[in-house]
Amino acid sequence: MIAYTIRRALIAIPTLFIVLTITFVLIRIAPGDPAEVRLGDYASKEAVEALRKEMGLNKPIWIQYLHTLKDLLQGDFGRSMVNGRPISKDLIRSLPYTLELTLVGIIFGAVFGIPTGVYTALKRNTLADYIGRILSLGGLSFPTFYLGILLMLAFAIKIPIFPVVGAGDFSNLTKNFYHLFLPGLTLGLIMTAYVTRMTRSSVLNILNEDYVRTARAKGLTERKVIYIHLLRNALLPITALIGIYAIVLIGGSVMVEIVFSRPGLGKMMIGALKQRDYTTLQAVMITFTSFVVLINLITDLMYGLIDPRVRYK
Amino acid sequence: MKGIKMAFITVLVVGVFLFLGAPWALGADREVLRISFDAGDILDLHPHFAHTTQDRGVVHLIFTGLVRYKAGDIGKFEPDLAERWEVSKDGLTWTFHLRRGVMVHPWKDNPGYELTSEDVVYSFKSAADPKRSAWAAEYAGMTFEPVDKYTVRFTLQKPISELLFLPKVADYAGGLIIPKKPAEELGEGFRTHPVGTGPFIFNKYLPKEKIVTVRHEKFYRGVPKLAGVEVFFMSDLSSRKFGLQNKELDVIEGPPSQPWVEEMQALPGVKVNVFGPGESGVLHFNMTKKPFDDIRVRRAIAYALSRDEVATAIGKAIAEAVYSEIPNPQPGWITRDELVQRGKKDKKDYLYAPDRKKVKKLLTEAGFPKGFTTEISLTERGEYQVPMQNVVAQLRESGINVKLNVVDHATYHSNIRKDMNTIVLYNCWRPTADVRLTHFGHSSSIVVTGKKPITNFSHVGAVDADGDGKVDNVDSLIESARDMLDAKEQLAHWKEIQFKLLDWCIAYPVFIKRFTFARQDYVDWGYDLKSTLILSPQINELTRTTK
Amino acid sequence: MKQPSMRGKILRTFFRNKTSIIGACISLVMFLIAILAPWISPYDPLKQNVYYRLTPPERSHLLGTDEYGRDVLSRIFTGAQISFLVSVISVALGMVIGTALGVIGGYAGGRVETGLMRLLDIIMSFPDEVFGVMVMIVLGPGMENVIIAITVLMIPRFARMGHAPTLAIKEVDYIASAKSIGASGFRIIMRHILPNIFGETVVMSTLWLGTAIRLEASLSFLGVGVPPPTPTLGNMVRMGVDFLAVAPWVSVFAGLAILISIFGFNLLGDGLRDITDPKLYAR
Repeated sequence: MIAYTIRRALIAIPTLFIVLTITFVLIRIAPGDPAEVRLGDYASKEAVEALRKEMGLNKPIWIQYLHTLKDLLQGDFGRSMVNGRPISKDLIRSLPYTLELTLVGIIFGAVFGIPTGVYTALKRNTLADYIGRILSLGGLSFPTFYLGILLMLAFAIKIPIFPVVGAGDFSNLTKNFYHLFLPGLTLGLIMTAYVTRMTRSSVLNILNEDYVRTARAKGLTERKVIYIHLLRNALLPITALIGIYAIVLIGGSVMVEIVFSRPGLGKMMIGALKQRDYTTLQAVMITFTSFVVLINLITDLMYGLIDPRVRYK
Repeated sequence: MKGIKMAFITVLVVGVFLFLGAPWALGADREVLRISFDAGDILDLHPHFAHTTQDRGVVHLIFTGLVRYKAGDIGKFEPDLAERWEVSKDGLTWTFHLRRGVMVHPWKDNPGYELTSEDVVYSFKSAADPKRSAWAAEYAGMTFEPVDKYTVRFTLQKPISELLFLPKVADYAGGLIIPKKPAEELGEGFRTHPVGTGPFIFNKYLPKEKIVTVRHEKFYRGVPKLAGVEVFFMSDLSSRKFGLQNKELDVIEGPPSQPWVEEMQALPGVKVNVFGPGESGVLHFNMTKKPFDDIRVRRAIAYALSRDEVATAIGKAIAEAVYSEIPNPQPGWITRDELVQRGKKDKKDYLYAPDRKKVKKLLTEAGFPKGFTTEISLTERGEYQVPMQNVVAQLRESGINVKLNVVDHATYHSNIRKDMNTIVLYNCWRPTADVRLTHFGHSSSIVVTGKKPITNFSHVGAVDADGDGKVDNVDSLIESARDMLDAKEQLAHWKEIQFKLLDWCIAYPVFIKRFTFARQDYVDWGYDLKSTLILSPQINELTRTTK
Repeated sequence: MKQPSMRGKILRTFFRNKTSIIGACISLVMFLIAILAPWISPYDPLKQNVYYRLTPPERSHLLGTDEYGRDVLSRIFTGAQISFLVSVISVALGMVIGTALGVIGGYAGGRVETGLMRLLDIIMSFPDEVFGVMVMIVLGPGMENVIIAITVLMIPRFARMGHAPTLAIKEVDYIASAKSIGASGFRIIMRHILPNIFGETVVMSTLWLGTAIRLEASLSFLGVGVPPPTPTLGNMVRMGVDFLAVAPWVSVFAGLAILISIFGFNLLGDGLRDITDPKLYAR
């Protein structure tokens, strides 16, 4: 198991590295000059050049790359090109908002999605199943931002229960909750749709397996059949798909953050994009990717734990 | 069934609780004015660099100048840090006498100190240094020296009128005074921890969230009525609106948009301020790129456009048509009637009122009977998008297709300065008519190829504008107007220059759009807000909340 | 558990067919709208009438007008056309390039295969919207660039689909006749593989068409899609958000069009998948 863990971890590192390089290169090729953004259109050419020099933008790309790499290895994400603040601070401030949102999304999705998936699988081809499938398909088809907008329109604008935008801070938990509700609901509903479908198909696959029929033939109660045999064996494909869903979750959280103007990583990324803040953009991309790589790693490890055969591939 | 019933009741109870609890949970504060700008964060709080609305908004809480524009009225100057001033007979020496007892804000461990001429001289030397100021050009050729503790002398190389000199020492841009001790001590840190002499003291900066300032008890014009000002960054329009509705904000910046103004005015307890001077929008034609080198094409575009429609697209409450390069209400501007009168006298058309027949005739003469296509880059920002989208739609009716290549704001400014566009829409306000005419009409300001490129996008002064084979140039007119000391003569000269530019149709002035801010009705600015240079309502020692 | 009843069996058959049929109908209607947009639009989608802006739905403007006074219904028709155009081209290009890469990679084997698959995996490891935004930032705005961005996101999906069967057939072929693999090997593999994955490709293309539409809308909503004044369903929602309180019809109807389109394609694809996938329907 340890060898397996190390193997998977080692693969994760080059992935991160490649992503960093791609991000770095892509962002540098992009048009727009952060020094000009900082000084505005009334500034003199000399002032712009001076700032470029200060930002290190006039050095050749590969030197900038090496600097970035060196700093990253020391855990320093550098300073924002737009306001000179250390990015790590901003990252740490934004992270909790994204985390609480994605957490709500996952939990909501799991709590409502798994039972629904199981239920519709068991009641296959009945009306309940039909409705469940249409609903979850509907959920999948709903663009995340549109669902957010509709919920915002209904429960924050037309009927002003919840605040429209913003996030509240962690010192006032009630306020935080109010700001989290609609975004969390949006993401949660989308994730529920995904989880339902996935659970349903996993369960269906297993329902036809011999050992289930055997268990039933043995006369075990329905409940026992479900919980003991079904779920335990469905766990494997579910685990495998968590990796994919983490990606959907992150993408979804970015859209939700933009719609509801929550100060999380997604908003940080789009803001950095608009201001041509190369360093911040890079830092956010790396953070996102680290999450994905981490989740994939955990998924791989869980996979290895559950199914020993995988370890020896 | 039982489970479902329980669930239903729970949901009902929770729903009621949420509904009732909402306003209580979201709370409200008083005594401290909370204002929000359309921005994600500040860029730079150093007054000699700050140029965005939000940066200027913060900077003007913290700094003041020798002279100030009267609060709410940029047409008048008043003494501020300086009690009085004189200018020598030859116009080359200006002497300012400082007020006594002006206390610099406390910072870090320093409790503050009295401002003297040493600080003022330091500030102007810094403002004149291109490495430490974005407006160094304003002070080129000037020297500054302290005469005694409370007297400062400015020495110029050429005399200029008071109209052109006072803006340089007013509470705006380079004229804002940065005290020597904190500036030197904080160095780069000054950009995010400004220390000045204004009514409010910088307290803290929470990146991407807000700036907190507190009352300066020793402010020389009087103790401010507000306990402090908090400046929030919210680049999302809805955020700001609902912040206002929930009474979490007292003042918010608005877009130059009529529907928004109407929406705000309909809210209970909310008032909207639309104020000037605003920024004028002018379409500049690049005469070095075909087919804009042909005066008939340029005039065709002018005749194809209805200024009124563009202004309406922005919003009648906010924008109106302008007919000259110098916009209303800047000294030197030309009214519609004046244009028509003068046009009759000269037998020329300076107005270019919409006329489809003339468009067709001119285009056909120029060789484009069916119209033509051109491609330009444009910034994504709303205040450019809204008028330009309308201009494009209008031109389309005449067969002129303008393809828009939308880029981010910084790239747009970079592109147009690289002479890439055939048509350039530029929104701005310039402190004086001289600055504007120089920037947009003098040959040395021509982008890329000029001696000192600024924003002369049309290349006027270096090309043949009217097709008579000779280069058309207003350089000497601009320069002589600048040196005039008699105000009436100066104004007349400036108008002459504009008539020429209109005749050559190097640019088409379209609109002036004012600024929009919404506030709670309990916010009282303390003065009559008609116009302000800093793009947002000034919050000073007289501003207060009446509850 | 009871055996599937007669009712269940009938329902299942109905469902199977019904889903596909409804999905097909919806998709067809949306396609027709997209194709016929110029002819069925009551107004010119680009013509502004600023004196008549943000009016609610009424007889002369069935879905109201937007902030420039343009007819929302006409803009939705044209917007659908643009959105569909972008999506169809992206999926088609992605299919051709992606399948080719998957097959080539599988056939080539060795480091080429590993490198290629690794790269594609990395692309897939980004959330779609995030990657799309990055590509658009580099390329700049414009319809062609949106197509490129979405195509790049489609390629790994199709590549994976072509990869596995290639490996399988390569094995068989290799074992069966080691000598005859030469210049013709590639063609043999193609002839075996393409028909094999045809069914799956059609099904997945339908589903991924929905994904492409959603992507275009998301990119436009984030401000990096097709720029105005060209209407796309996504950028209409974006522009409408500023007026959500006073004129929700712009965003609501444009978003609804997106939802219906994606839903139609998903229904169709799902139904097709159910029909062609025997496992789920054993007994």
